Amino acid sequence: MRPDLEAIRNAARAAASELTGKSIKDSQKLVSSGLIDSLAVLKLISLLERKLNIVIRPEMLQPEDFDDVALIVETIERVGKSVK
Amino acid sequence: MSSRSELCQRLREGLAANDKKAVLQVVVGPDFHNPAEFNGASLLSEAENLASRFRTPERGVVLLLLPHSAELFLLQLGLVLTGRIPGVLAWPTSRVDPEKYQRNLVHQLGNLPVGLLVTLPRLAGNLERALPYPVAGLAIENGSSFDEIFPTAEVSERLEKYHMSPGESHPSDDALFLQFSGGTTGAQKAIVVTAPMLTAQFDSLGRALQFGEKECVASWLPLYHDMGLIACYWMPLWRGASSIQIGANDWVMNPELLLRYVDRGKATFCWLPNFAFSYLSQRRELMQGSYRLDTVRAWINCSEPVRARSVTEFARAFEDWGVRKESVQASYAMAETVFAITQSRLDRELLSVPRAAVQRGKQNSSSLAFDVIDDVYVSSGRMLADTEVKIVGQDGSVCREACAGEIYVRTASLFSGYWGAQGFQEHSLKDGWHATGDYGFLVNADLYVIGRFKDILIVGGNNIFPEDVEAVVNTVEGVYPGRVAAFGVEDKDYGTQSLAIVAETKVDQNEEDSSRIESTIRKLVLTNIGIAPRYVAVVPQRWIVKSTAGKISRRENRDRFLKEELAAGG
Repeated sequence: MRPDLEAIRNAARAAASELTGKSIKDSQKLVSSGLIDSLAVLKLISLLERKLNIVIRPEMLQPEDFDDVALIVETIERVGKSVK
Repeated sequence: MSSRSELCQRLREGLAANDKKAVLQVVVGPDFHNPAEFNGASLLSEAENLASRFRTPERGVVLLLLPHSAELFLLQLGLVLTGRIPGVLAWPTSRVDPEKYQRNLVHQLGNLPVGLLVTLPRLAGNLERALPYPVAGLAIENGSSFDEIFPTAEVSERLEKYHMSPGESHPSDDALFLQFSGGTTGAQKAIVVTAPMLTAQFDSLGRALQFGEKECVASWLPLYHDMGLIACYWMPLWRGASSIQIGANDWVMNPELLLRYVDRGKATFCWLPNFAFSYLSQRRELMQGSYRLDTVRAWINCSEPVRARSVTEFARAFEDWGVRKESVQASYAMAETVFAITQSRLDRELLSVPRAAVQRGKQNSSSLAFDVIDDVYVSSGRMLADTEVKIVGQDGSVCREACAGEIYVRTASLFSGYWGAQGFQEHSLKDGWHATGDYGFLVNADLYVIGRFKDILIVGGNNIFPEDVEAVVNTVEGVYPGRVAAFGVEDKDYGTQSLAIVAETKVDQNEEDSSRIESTIRKLVLTNIGIAPRYVAVVPQRWIVKSTAGKISRRENRDRFLKEELAAGG
C-alpha cells in the first residue's frame, strides 16, 4: 500500500535530518543551499525508499526535486512506487 | 603531409567506409529509449557540415561550451577534421549561480588565445561583448531548458588585460585538440594534444586492451574529461569501433541507464571512476530491470585511486548478471599524457599489496592531501609500451620496490607543458619526465597509486582545487580572510572524497552567527564551484593550524578536523 502524505512528510524530515546530522525545518533548502551534494541526494533517495518501503524511479528527476520537504513529498507522490 | 593531416585523412577514410555500423549513439533526455544514431559515413558528413558553419582561421582554437548533446560530439570531431583545434569546457551544473558563473567564465578564459567560443544562443549573447574574441550561438535539440537558466542580460565584466595577436592562437602545426586541467574558478590550464601524442597513446593502449573494431564502449563520462574524450569517444572512432554516450547528470540520477545500454549495445568496455563502482553496487537491489553484462571484457577503474572494497562489491553485486571478477580492471591516467599510463592485464584479477608491506617516508606521507585507507593497495596495472615510470623520494633519489614516493612519468604521449597566451610552460618537465604530484610505489613492475601530493581533491572523479574553494570562502562576511582550509575527507560509502571546509571567524560568534556564516559558505561554494561541501565547520579564532613559516597546512587542519570536529558530530 502506498504511504499517506503525513507518513511521507515525516519520512522526508527524518531522512534529511539523518543525512545532515541536523534538525531540518520544512522550509530549509537542502540542495540549492549547498547543505547536501549530488551523492548525498542519492543517499537521501535510498533512505526514503527504505523508510517508506517504496521504489523511487529517478529517471527524469533532478537533485532539485529533493530540495525541501514539500518538494520531496511532491516528488514521491509523483514517482514513488510501493514495493510489492 | 603532416602527421595531423595523415591522422585526419585516415580517420576520414575509416569513417566513410563504415556506412553500416552505428559508430556513435548519443542518449539524450527526455527520450532515453531512442538515442541519436550515426554510422561512420553519416557521422563524418554531419560532423563536417556542422563544423563548416563556424568560420575561423585554420588551426584556430575553438572552445565548446555546450551541454551533453549529439551536437557536441559532432562539433568536436568536425572541428578537428576541418583543421581547427577544439577544446571542450565543462557545462555548469544547474546549481551554480548563472550570473556569477558567467562572470567567472570571462576571467577563466582570459589567458587562452582563442579564435571562437561556441555555446548556446542566450549565453553567447550575454558573453559576446565581454570576451575579446567572437562568440557564436548554436541551438541544439532540447537545449532551451539549459539556455534558459541564464538571464537575458549582457555580462558586465570585461577583460582588461588580454594580449593576443592573430598569429599567436596556433599552439603547433600538429595540434588536434585541447584538454583542460584547471580549477573551477581559476584560469584554465590547457593541454595541447597533437597527432603524434594521440597515435602513440592509441597504439600502446590499443595493444594493452587488444582493442579492435568489434568493441563497443558504453560511457556516461563527459567530453571535458580525458576518460570520456580519449578512451570512450576517440579511441573507438580511431579503431573503427562504436560508442554509446549517456549524459553524466542523467546517469547520476539513473545509474541503471548505463547497464541498460551495456546490455542493448553488447558493450565490451566500460571506464568508470572508483566511486561509480560503489554507487552502482549500492543501487543494485533497487534496479528495475535485469541486464546481461557478460559481454563486457573490461570494467576499467580509473581517475581516482582504486579501492579494494569498491571493486569487490561491484563484482559481487553484479555476478548474477555476468560480471566476472577478472573483468574488473584498473588504469592510471591523466590528461597530461593524453590518457593512460598503465593498464592492468585483461582476464586476470587485480593484484594487491598489504598496506603494512609498503615503506612510506615520514616526510612524504605528512604532506599528502589524502591517501587510500584500505588494508590493501590495489594495482593500477603495468606501464603501457614506450612508457616509463619512476618513483622519486623526498631527497630526489629513485625509490626501490615497495617504497612510496612521487610518481614521475615519461612517454611518447607526454605533453609539452601547459599552453596559454605565453606559449608552452615547460617548467613541470625535467629531462622529459613529468612529476605527476601523485604518490605511489612499484611492485613487480605494477604501479600502485596511494594518493596525491598536491592538495587537489577528487570528488566523484572530478578534480577540485582547494585554493578555488578557499578564495570563495574568504569573501564571506564574518570569516577571517586567509584563515580558511579546504580539504578532502574520505566518503567510505562511495569510495571517493567529500569536500570539507574549516573557516575561522573574525570575532567570537554566537551560535546564530556561526549558523548564518555556515549557510553563506555552503551557498557560495555551491554557486561558485558547483559542488556542495559535505562538512562546513565555523571555528573560533586561532583554531586553524599554521606552520612556523605561517603557511596553512591542509593536512594538519584535516587531521584536527577529523579528530575534534567530525568525531564530535560537527
